[in-house]
Amino acid sequence: MPTLSMTVNGKPVSGEAEGRTLLVQFLRETLRLTGTHVGCDTSQCGACLVHIDGKAVKSCTTLALACAGASITTIEGLARDGKLHPMQEAFRENHGLQCGFCTPGMIMSAIDMVNRKGTDLDEQTIRHELEGNICRCTGYHNIVKSIAAGAAAMGKEGLRQAAE
Amino acid sequence: MSATGIGARVVRKEDHRFITGKGRYVDDINRPGQSHAYFVRSPHAHATIKSVDASEALKKPGVLAVFTGADIAADKIGGLICGWMIHSKDGSPMKAGAHPALAQGKARYVGDHVAVVIAETLAQARDGAEAVVVDYEELPPLPDMTLATAKGAAAIHAEAPDNIVYNWHLGDKAATDAAFAKAKHVTKLDIVNNRLVPNAMEPRAAIGEYDDGDGVFTLYTTSQNPHVARLVLSAFIGIAPENKLRVIAPDVGGGFGSKIFIYAEETICVWAAKKVGRPVKWTADRTEEFLAVAHGRDHLTHAELALDGDNRILGMRVSTKANLGAYLSTFASSVPTYLYAPLLSGQYNIPSIYCEVDGVYTTTAPVDAYRGAGRPEATYVVERLIEVAARERRMDPTAFREMNFVRQFPHQTPVIMMYDAGNYPLALKTAMDMHDVKTFAQRRSESERRGKLRGLGYSAYIEACGIAPSAAVGSLGAGVGLWESAEVRVNPIGTVEVLTGSHAHGQGHETTFAQVVADRLGIPIENVSIVHGDTDKVQMGMGTYGSRSGAVGISAIVKALDKVVAKGKKVASHVLEASEGDIEFKDGQFQVKGTDKKAGFGDIALQAYIAHKFNGQELEPGLKEGAFYDPTNFTFPAGVHICELEIDPSTGATEIKKWTAVDDFGNVINPMIVEGQVHGGIAQGVGQALAEQAVYDKSGQLLTASYMDYCMPRADDLPSFEIGMITTPAPSNPLGLKGCGEAGAIAAPPAVINAITDALGHEDIAMPATPQAVWRACQKRPSRLAAE
Amino acid sequence: MAMTMSGEVVLPADKATVWAKLNDPETLKNSIPGCQSLEKTSDTSFAAVAKIKIGPVSATFRGKVNLEDLDPPNGYRIAGEGEGGVAGFAKGGAVVKLSDDPAGTKLAYDVEAQIGGKLAQLGARLINGVAKKLADEFFAKFAEAVKAGA
Repeated sequence: MPTLSMTVNGKPVSGEAEGRTLLVQFLRETLRLTGTHVGCDTSQCGACLVHIDGKAVKSCTTLALACAGASITTIEGLARDGKLHPMQEAFRENHGLQCGFCTPGMIMSAIDMVNRKGTDLDEQTIRHELEGNICRCTGYHNIVKSIAAGAAAMGKEGLRQAAE
Repeated sequence: MSATGIGARVVRKEDHRFITGKGRYVDDINRPGQSHAYFVRSPHAHATIKSVDASEALKKPGVLAVFTGADIAADKIGGLICGWMIHSKDGSPMKAGAHPALAQGKARYVGDHVAVVIAETLAQARDGAEAVVVDYEELPPLPDMTLATAKGAAAIHAEAPDNIVYNWHLGDKAATDAAFAKAKHVTKLDIVNNRLVPNAMEPRAAIGEYDDGDGVFTLYTTSQNPHVARLVLSAFIGIAPENKLRVIAPDVGGGFGSKIFIYAEETICVWAAKKVGRPVKWTADRTEEFLAVAHGRDHLTHAELALDGDNRILGMRVSTKANLGAYLSTFASSVPTYLYAPLLSGQYNIPSIYCEVDGVYTTTAPVDAYRGAGRPEATYVVERLIEVAARERRMDPTAFREMNFVRQFPHQTPVIMMYDAGNYPLALKTAMDMHDVKTFAQRRSESERRGKLRGLGYSAYIEACGIAPSAAVGSLGAGVGLWESAEVRVNPIGTVEVLTGSHAHGQGHETTFAQVVADRLGIPIENVSIVHGDTDKVQMGMGTYGSRSGAVGISAIVKALDKVVAKGKKVASHVLEASEGDIEFKDGQFQVKGTDKKAGFGDIALQAYIAHKFNGQELEPGLKEGAFYDPTNFTFPAGVHICELEIDPSTGATEIKKWTAVDDFGNVINPMIVEGQVHGGIAQGVGQALAEQAVYDKSGQLLTASYMDYCMPRADDLPSFEIGMITTPAPSNPLGLKGCGEAGAIAAPPAVINAITDALGHEDIAMPATPQAVWRACQKRPSRLAAE
Repeated sequence: MAMTMSGEVVLPADKATVWAKLNDPETLKNSIPGCQSLEKTSDTSFAAVAKIKIGPVSATFRGKVNLEDLDPPNGYRIAGEGEGGVAGFAKGGAVVKLSDDPAGTKLAYDVEAQIGGKLAQLGARLINGVAKKLADEFFAKFAEAVKAGA
């Protein structure tokens, strides 16, 4: 079996993967990063969403070997030094999750949305951009609120970081 | 109200692990030496299994074993059970066919479990399954109720030769017929309640494990009620006695009813763990979930409403065919009977009701409880009838509802239920004010100027929650009592663990339950931990479904807390040297009435364990109390939802513009969480009304078996919701709670369809009102725009 | 679920040659996409193994092929059913009709098939496209064989 090396959440990692091994299987089974979930297998639900080289990708339809050398961020890599990412904080503050299964994908998708669309997101934009993430619990109401608040908080954080 | 007490919007304690990816769902767990199971499922809707040849599969690398129905029969593993006995009109018991965990000679739906391959890795198990050769002889597929009940249709189970499981009825037929005989107007409707797939985002999963040192089985499973799973696996299926079987339901990613039931897959995993001497893990892929999870709804109904000359309701007649699928799932029989017909009185004063229900076997996946379970089906019947009757009588639908509302409590309906508290006119008025119904006409004209059709739809729903009391449900055929248990363990420094038989899979019990405990004991919420989901920790419980965790589960906790305080008072009387009757407990302090002598809850807890200040023979040391709580009645959450939507007649696309919900859940512990439950329920109800449908073709193939073909509601299919509440506390439990988990899914479908039919100007549309269906409905008859 | 397909091809040989090839196991084996074996079990029946991929589902089908309604040299109905294990099953038939054509022989086919299991669940939206592609592949190879044998 080929050995695969990549950077995950800022740390170099390597492990064996078959040609058919999916990235999500490599993350969950080889690296035991189980925060990335499999909800549908057909890249509809977004529970498996991670960032590969800064872009949102569904890891259930990505071959692990295709990610050799890439830099991957999963939900486990968002909090820094025990401090939650503003988007994580926003989901908690706004009750943006219930069973929690879709949540990692939602948060990763939301951060990607901010990266692409900026920190001032209106409801219509957020709802449209969530096309690739399914939640069965929340009716999306509080997810939309969470993302708007998290985006704004990322904006402030960015300003603060820029000022520091 | 304190910042974390009852009524406060406390941010959830459990969220930290979920937002950091540290939730622990069954598929996140790997056990040492674990093997993997993959099921060989029938590709035929109905077939005789002539042989299963596993010889090639067993030669594949990594394959440890292949098991078939013959193996479980040889081990005397019992079939899956249906735990609610329904009797037909003639008094005969329902005709239940056997439900083996692996098919015995016959497959009865596409996805039925024919064999299981167990291998070192999942990929090897799959490869092994590819090599299992099953020789089928096809039998006629009977994927819908019309085919299954046609004359001469093949019997799916020998026990039910005409594929009718029961024909059941409720109510007084003669009185209802008499009411119709004197009616001045009768409204008639034919109603389809579309078949749904629950679709919790976490697919079902299980790990079975066997420790041959002490003969103990452990099952990790995606369950809403691990104790019921243990009871069934032990007492009926015969895996092991309860003391040798531990069931753990860790974090569970949504249930909506579908994870109440005891399924073939978890049964096989725990059984096979001993056979192969290794832990056995199985996780459904989404298509397996579509095929083999219990589906919901699927009713065909004819309903009639009789009115007098003043438009007062005289009676209701309902005749329903309910598709139960190929086997009777755990609570399948109760859903279209006792969870359905007793709700047909809605919020209305209806002197006579008669309902008959045929439960039908078909060659489709089993059908059982899905969010609301019977009550959405009843509410859809009632609220469609009411709306159409008002339109036929040219009355404003709110005025028609107003004049027929129940206004006096308690109110005995003609179909079992005794409504104990509510204020239906207030909910309607509050909703109409919030929604600004007064200006709807202007909004409609504005839409029409843009060539769009705007509609307004109401749904005044009622449901019965709590799902108890035990004796009452027992008299209706339930196989178990539906109480709940709690144990409050106070640690020596005053922190508290509460063990509950309820199970959270998104409901936030770790927060709301802790709020109650913190509030009652006057201690910081951080000092309270809620323990659930493990039969080794919690002694017994009935689990979470039917919006029962508040009304029943929390009530059990409150009862145990009362015992803790009573015991604390005894300890405090020794510590504070006063008589027990003079000790008051308030805000976390035991205090001698009329003095400043007091001790904190933590101090008294410590004294209870140190046990120096009292005679251990007269007063037991320690501070731990348990309770079982059985309520005196169901609870009756009710409310009014208003849906306002716009249809583009050129495409059939429907856009919900505004949604207002006013619910009466009795007292509320955490409004933030309750609103979240309402949001999610509405989304599922809107999904049923506009998008979702499980489709079997004539040959019994499930055509909607992935998210490419089954339409799940997404963020841009829904609006943000306006949520309001009114409060009439439930008299049947100590905190006056009613339950909120299913309300949205119950209320929403008729609100949407009433709004669509209002926009269309005719009633000719069924769920799901997809753009195609709406477009057709727009073509079928002149729309309101064209007519005017 | 049901699938239907029809079409026609013109083959560069006379009717008798085409008819002979239509009844020749070796030609059929070489022409059926993914066919791994085709063994004659009687004058008009064969046991077949074929490996076919439909969208995300790939499977080895084991089954029977029967030649029915024989009307030499004008046509027959070729019917088959195969179990693809976990992937599901396929069964159905094609009515094949031969007629004279200025360029040789016209072969018209009318296929009706049923699929089930994973093929129907995941492959349903792809099945018509795949079936057309498989038919095209079959006739391309079959035309070659006819040409070689003419």
